[in-house]
Amino acid sequence: MPKNLYWFNCGSCGGDSVSMFNMESPDIAAFFKEMDISLLWHPSLSSMAYLDYQNQIEAILSDDLKLDILCVEGSVIRGPGGSGMYHSTDYKPRKDLVGLLAEKADYVVAVGTCASYGGICTDGEVEATGLQFHKFEKGGFLGKDFVSQKGLPVINLPGCPCHNEIVSGAISHLASNKTLELDEFNAPLEWFGMLVHQGCVRNEYHEYRVEDSNFGNKGCLFFHLGCLAPLTNGSCNKILWNRRSSKTRAGVPCVGCTQPDFPKPYPFFKTRNIADVPLDLPIGVDRAHYMAYKSMAAAAAPKRLKDRKTKI
Amino acid sequence: MLQKLKLNLAFNRVEGDLEMRIEVDNGLAMNAWCSGTMYRGFEKILVGRHALDGIVFTSRICGICTTAHQTASVRALDMIAKADVPANAQRVRNIVLAAEHLQSDMRHTFLMFMADFANPEYKNNKLFNEVMARHEPFKGRTYLETIVETKKMPELIAILGGQWPHSSFMVPGGITSVPSQNDVMQCILLLKQYRHWYEKRVLGCTIERWSEVKSLKALDAWLDEKEAHRESELGLFIRLARSADLEKMGHGHDNFISFGSLELPKGSKTDAKFLIPAGFAQGAKISEFNHENVSEHVAYSWFKDYKDGKHPFEGETNPYATGNESQKYSWAKAPRYNDLPAETGTLAEMVVSGNPLFAELVKKSGSNVFSRVLSRLVRSTVIIPAMEKWLAEIDGGSFYAPPGEIVQGKGFGLTQASRGALGHWVTIENRTIERYQIITATAWNASPRDSKGVRGPIEEAVIGTDVMSTTKLEHIIRSFDPCIVCSVHLLKNNRSLLKKNIGL
Repeated sequence: MPKNLYWFNCGSCGGDSVSMFNMESPDIAAFFKEMDISLLWHPSLSSMAYLDYQNQIEAILSDDLKLDILCVEGSVIRGPGGSGMYHSTDYKPRKDLVGLLAEKADYVVAVGTCASYGGICTDGEVEATGLQFHKFEKGGFLGKDFVSQKGLPVINLPGCPCHNEIVSGAISHLASNKTLELDEFNAPLEWFGMLVHQGCVRNEYHEYRVEDSNFGNKGCLFFHLGCLAPLTNGSCNKILWNRRSSKTRAGVPCVGCTQPDFPKPYPFFKTRNIADVPLDLPIGVDRAHYMAYKSMAAAAAPKRLKDRKTKI
Repeated sequence: MLQKLKLNLAFNRVEGDLEMRIEVDNGLAMNAWCSGTMYRGFEKILVGRHALDGIVFTSRICGICTTAHQTASVRALDMIAKADVPANAQRVRNIVLAAEHLQSDMRHTFLMFMADFANPEYKNNKLFNEVMARHEPFKGRTYLETIVETKKMPELIAILGGQWPHSSFMVPGGITSVPSQNDVMQCILLLKQYRHWYEKRVLGCTIERWSEVKSLKALDAWLDEKEAHRESELGLFIRLARSADLEKMGHGHDNFISFGSLELPKGSKTDAKFLIPAGFAQGAKISEFNHENVSEHVAYSWFKDYKDGKHPFEGETNPYATGNESQKYSWAKAPRYNDLPAETGTLAEMVVSGNPLFAELVKKSGSNVFSRVLSRLVRSTVIIPAMEKWLAEIDGGSFYAPPGEIVQGKGFGLTQASRGALGHWVTIENRTIERYQIITATAWNASPRDSKGVRGPIEEAVIGTDVMSTTKLEHIIRSFDPCIVCSVHLLKNNRSLLKKNIGL
């Protein structure tokens, strides 16, 4: 019995879908086939006569068609003034349909940071919010009490965009009725129970506080260039992007895109500091001990690292 | 008494939210209004943010043109900082943007555009069985191959820039990464494999052989020369276009605009600034491009009114969500060049670069579904050799030259996204963004009317189309490769169009 999956776009750039199209093994077409998932609708891929599309939504809403998994991409746009008219479909607010579909689904999945927590437009004027979180605060569009037909809250798969292995992994779990252990922001621990910092090839530089002040070098990006990897929950440096790399491996400081408060209200690529030590320390460390440890680490740094001669 | 109807339609497989209202008379589209139906407010979010933040934010305007936005934002900052971008950095920036074009052109054509021919309406067409075998969504041979083969391009981009989509590795002064000789070699290997697929499956010949086709007569000769040519995707498309009269479908204003892109690295032995030249053309008559002639009108857009058009350096973005009222109907502003509408994309690039085949085609039948999609199928023949050259040229030189802090200034970054002209106009005051105005490619193509009431390119292109079914409309709209992310669907019954008075 195939599982029915509906992919719905709200205030989105489509990046999570584009990322998903890069799915590696299996590729996106093979994935749906292997997992016996019937893709009821995807905005970029579906080819359906209008009447059939309209009837399909009606059938879901009247319980004639089972909706197993609802995937939502993009933030829910509620402005101006709560009307939702910054994002309309046939002059009706797009947000209205999300709520109706979510009520019917066995599982509701927020794909990407926008759908999970509000994302890139949250601080703007369009009153963007996530499905069940507004940044750190539970609630969002559906409200804190919402549960799906299977009794679960919205499952958040943050990331800007979300990595396709996380999408395929999470959907596979749900399609197989397996449990996903979730953190306090309802993101699966499998991918978000670790830091982006773990696995970065610049770790040895980080260890010995060999820190770059300018782009274009091989050292650590944490002390001066605003890298948020030690403060960001994600697996970019474990599962890697596009089979090859990650931002930090390419010298791009992590921008913390999986965090509920992405984008941070302070500048990217610039570390806020107190007395030359980052203001925001790796999650959970004690400042006094950290400062002492970093001083000693810097003093112990081998010349080969200070010369940045490694081929990372 | 002629029965007039108004159709409300919406389209998916356009990266975006695109709706159209069409006034129908005797089964033909007599007037059209093209709506972008989503506003997210990027331009205003950026005001007050730090100078470099645009690099991270603007990628998120579009998941498919993420590299193009990054390119435009960094070029604006390079200008303000008077950065001296090293040749190697320019090569890598070009390679990555070019790679984005390659996968975009193929994914659009074979996952989004061709699907409209795998449609029971064409079942009496002699090519129908072949089209179904190749292009049926999720089943067709070429459909499935496209999914697999185009992934090589994001992989190539990740080797050089960390990830795709939404890396932020382009910074003022160059790039953050330091690709090794092996990184470059891995990219060369990926591109070689990709080229083999493109030549075998899409062209049916080598890029060199295709480059010899410089006239419509040569195109006919090419088609007749070998079965491999006829049976390639290009060959099939040409034959399908002839049998379905695509050359007569979707005629625009025949104005074309390109902002120029893929700036040639320092030390290139040529007078040209870009691989893809900038220019404005009326028919095949090309004139020099000046960004000062660009303006945006809001008379028919959901923004607070101002008279005529404003250049982006004076641009204002004050949303005014009036919904369904008689005049304003789109979240897109109306970009104009010298107050003229213009279409942008692969066809515009071909025309503005003086490509003789497309000059002849445009002189013969103007812009239409056939010329647009043909140009998209063969743009890769220009891009791939350039990528190979830039990869081979990467040497031991640096990839980044620190430009100093960006404190103050005005700059603009112009480039070509996969679907056409893209510009960012940026004003920095005291290290923060004071103004940020963006004109996307699809704003040009899906533009609403301007202050004079002149239609935008897609609106113009659907006039006169038979709308008894929506298939021709779908070919026309998708021939522009619109990027306005999202889904939509037809809103009203498309059966018995003349029998039902739909109204608005």
